[in-house]
Amino acid sequence: MLIQNEIPKEDLDYILEPFKEDREEDNKQIISEKIIAIVRDAKGNIIDKREQKMRSLTQYYLALISIPILGTYSSPTSNTATSILVNVLGLPSTQSTTSTNTALITFDTSIQLGSGTQSFSLTLNSLSAPILNGTGTGRLNYYSQSVLYTSNSVSQILTVSNLSGNTITVSEIGLMGTIYLMYINSSGNYTVQPYNFLFSYDTFSSPISIPNGGSASFQIVITFSG
Amino acid sequence: MVGSKVDYDISNLYIPKDGKGDNDFQKSFYATLTIIVRDKDGKVIKKYKQKSHSPTTNFIGLMLPLTWYNATGNSWTFINTLNSTFIYAPTIASLGFGIQYPNNGTTINDYIVNILVGSGSNSNPYSAYNLNAPISNGSGTGQLFYSSVSTPTSITINGNQAYFIISQSYANQSGATITISEVGIIMYLNTSNILEQNVKTGNLLVWYDVLSSPISVGNGQSVIIYYTFSVNA
Repeated sequence: MLIQNEIPKEDLDYILEPFKEDREEDNKQIISEKIIAIVRDAKGNIIDKREQKMRSLTQYYLALISIPILGTYSSPTSNTATSILVNVLGLPSTQSTTSTNTALITFDTSIQLGSGTQSFSLTLNSLSAPILNGTGTGRLNYYSQSVLYTSNSVSQILTVSNLSGNTITVSEIGLMGTIYLMYINSSGNYTVQPYNFLFSYDTFSSPISIPNGGSASFQIVITFSG
Repeated sequence: MVGSKVDYDISNLYIPKDGKGDNDFQKSFYATLTIIVRDKDGKVIKKYKQKSHSPTTNFIGLMLPLTWYNATGNSWTFINTLNSTFIYAPTIASLGFGIQYPNNGTTINDYIVNILVGSGSNSNPYSAYNLNAPISNGSGTGQLFYSSVSTPTSITINGNQAYFIISQSYANQSGATITISEVGIIMYLNTSNILEQNVKTGNLLVWYDVLSSPISVGNGQSVIIYYTFSVNA
């Protein structure tokens, strides 16, 4: 049986107290993130390269991390979801499905680019000015995204081309997340219900210009230390 | 395992001079391990805290998005605490596989089992699938009495920090001092398709830490372990 947190105040004060010593071990990263951008002109020549650390994970990413730690059930015997999944992600406490079937959860990620800027908050759920997919004015052509896994790093990669007729400036980047619940609905149909979130948000130290006819690759690398 | 090819060498990148130093970014995500020992009267006799470092390979497998599975066609091999393996490859396609979610149909729960403590150490936390020398539950020689694991009611936002805490306490009724030198989080994973076919389950070590300084718990004393997972703005 699991119980909900009732942490004594004196314990909580100590838990949240900053580390007093700046030990090398205490500064070791657990999960580190960086953003890589490479811009090419219409002839394929590289005209800009960037690499900067990503620093702005949202509470929704923290909620995602709760799944491999806490599971999805609030206890071994309860048929309700963990409080984090319900209260933070807004997922149903108990997914309705048919009596002979179960419900499943999984997730996916993608990169979204934007042309605005905004202050970061832990509850941020969208970019300030998302750049839409397409070839019209102010748009970038998004190609299929890919994910690399090597050793202990996961990289999300997006390539875009600018067919809009004008230079497009990218000033913000987000790692979007979609959590899927799969179940059988009341009509007996297989259903995939998506729930969308912003997992990270960053602005570039200086905006990235993609000339008309040019292309760019953006990569968000998440490294798990061991 | 490589998901797809990229047309540039990511190891040969220009890092702008205005790029931030590593120290400016290490706080975006971190985990902390806090241990508090109390005597038989409940008086605190030792406090200990260290940064937690080590998601395991099981954890990373659960953090891979669908795109990786779809693009590569690969599956992930989990290793349970008994050193047996099972594979996982989620998809949203009908009759595809996923992690079971609470529902009113047929269900097998997946949940946190406990914060397991041990008296040994694994040299490579990343590949660890169990503690090196788990301390079992009980009041016999070398045992600790495990209470139930305590889970968060939500994510707490405090200023520029969001966090959740899990904890578990242990009482030493063994008659002798017991030393804790390793700690890990065990999660019971249950995967299947929507018809609950080809069910794969197992206790997985998803997080593991060796203590910088082992903690001694005297007979009659108790210890509580807190794991704090945080992101910072």
